[in-house]
Amino acid sequence: MNKGFGGFGLMALILAGITAISSGSYRDPVPVGPYPFVYPANFGNRINIPVDNPTTLQGVYLGRMLFYETRLSANNTLSCGSCHKQEYAFTDGKAFSEGVDHVLTPRSSMSLTNLLWARKLFWDGRATGLEAQAIVPMANPHEMGQSLEASAQKLQADTEYPGLFKLVYGDDAITRDRIVKAIAQFERTLISANSKYDQYLAHTYTPTDDELKGMELFNQSPQPGKGMRGANCAHCHGGPKTYMELFHNNGLDSLPKDNGIEALTGLASDRGRFKVPTLRNIALTAPYMHDGRFRTLDEVLEHYSEHVVQTDALSTVFRGESNEAGGKQLKLTKEEKKQIIAFLNMLTDRTFVTDPRFSDPHQSKSKTTKS
Amino acid sequence: MKAIRTILFLALLGIFLQPVFTQAQATEKQATVKVSGEVTTPLELKLSDIQQMAQTTVVRKDRDGNDHSYSGVVLATILQKAGATMGKDLKGENLTKYVSVEASDGYQVIFALAELDKDFTDRTIILADMIDGKPLAAGDGPFRIIVQDEKKPARCIKMVTAIKVGFAK
Repeated sequence: MNKGFGGFGLMALILAGITAISSGSYRDPVPVGPYPFVYPANFGNRINIPVDNPTTLQGVYLGRMLFYETRLSANNTLSCGSCHKQEYAFTDGKAFSEGVDHVLTPRSSMSLTNLLWARKLFWDGRATGLEAQAIVPMANPHEMGQSLEASAQKLQADTEYPGLFKLVYGDDAITRDRIVKAIAQFERTLISANSKYDQYLAHTYTPTDDELKGMELFNQSPQPGKGMRGANCAHCHGGPKTYMELFHNNGLDSLPKDNGIEALTGLASDRGRFKVPTLRNIALTAPYMHDGRFRTLDEVLEHYSEHVVQTDALSTVFRGESNEAGGKQLKLTKEEKKQIIAFLNMLTDRTFVTDPRFSDPHQSKSKTTKS
Repeated sequence: MKAIRTILFLALLGIFLQPVFTQAQATEKQATVKVSGEVTTPLELKLSDIQQMAQTTVVRKDRDGNDHSYSGVVLATILQKAGATMGKDLKGENLTKYVSVEASDGYQVIFALAELDKDFTDRTIILADMIDGKPLAAGDGPFRIIVQDEKKPARCIKMVTAIKVGFAK
């Protein structure tokens, strides 16, 4: 969709970005106009942009600066980008992340990828929309630890930001609402659509034998009666985006330390129920699960193959799914696990994690200034 | 002395256990189904509300390949109770209405409103709470949509939490 315009917009954005980086001043022309989203048709158009926050080039420009702005934290050390690093597909490589007060977060930092299609954010899906989500880590005393009002005051005193807010919102007032809206706009542009899997779906990449076999197992449910082996991953991680916005108890614990969605609904059937995350760039986002308990994809596969804990709250998709007749566990062979991991590595999108449009603009600026 | 110690022990035990009991009560909260959207009377139905309405039984095969007898309330009856445009009112622009059914795991399916109206079809779609005379299994219930005669079970959505009527835009 809008491929021609998209290409033009992209070029304009890159050119403008280069101009801004080269001299490091906000007075350089910031690109303005509607932001042209470019993504494959098979991603579908069930996108989520609130009517009161249309995506613009200038809004995304500001949002990117704010996403990497450490002054939004109580001691000017943390930004959104501290726990959402581009090289790790916007996670931080840790089980839990340290806030301004050195207290660890209760859950693992989530990958920020293809959020344009997300409707429920956080591991328990409690935020409906990126705008509502962005407020939480900024204001949380154990994360960035600064009220949005205090952040607005800091930015208002800056030489650069008031002008940018004026360009985006029509006047230079910096408010809580405007800060989160701009960050959400930037986050919507974090689209990953150039993995080997995307290329395979677009018929421009030929998978290896292991990748193909892994893909087959990923998509197939086990039916020992018919002699069909499978891992049934696609039941929850299927489709071109490998994200379906589902919430499941995947049998991690008999007595979970973190009750997940049950804490919100009070329903025992929601115990240990968490968001099924995207598998985009999954090889880059270790450690895994809401508490980062698994360090490697091998450990993850081991869990699904051998160690799913049967409880009342366990999602039905895990009940009686086995490659052995009458079996309780999935029971994949060593070879099959290796093949599935080969497929999971096809979901790594190198262009996404190196795309200059998503990098820290303050870094590029200071680098340019130094050199 | 011993008695006093016992009383003191029990009193302390009571204080320590109180939060545990409170939490246990909180988790005993019952699941409900919210009916909202293009309706005149939004509803939040508990299991007891569903059981008080007229019951219908639908027989269909489950994934195990066997016939099962599901009972519950015809979805149209629930929508009528909420004041959705059914029957003689289901015409003109109201034919562009859909019913979105959501589950606690985030799964969602869509029916056209006309698919649920007995003036359009004899196929029965119910919100079931029983299978073969017993409550639905933990991972399926307490409420599940059962679509009579539909070949794939994909729209027989489990753990239903919300039914929304909307206009296709």
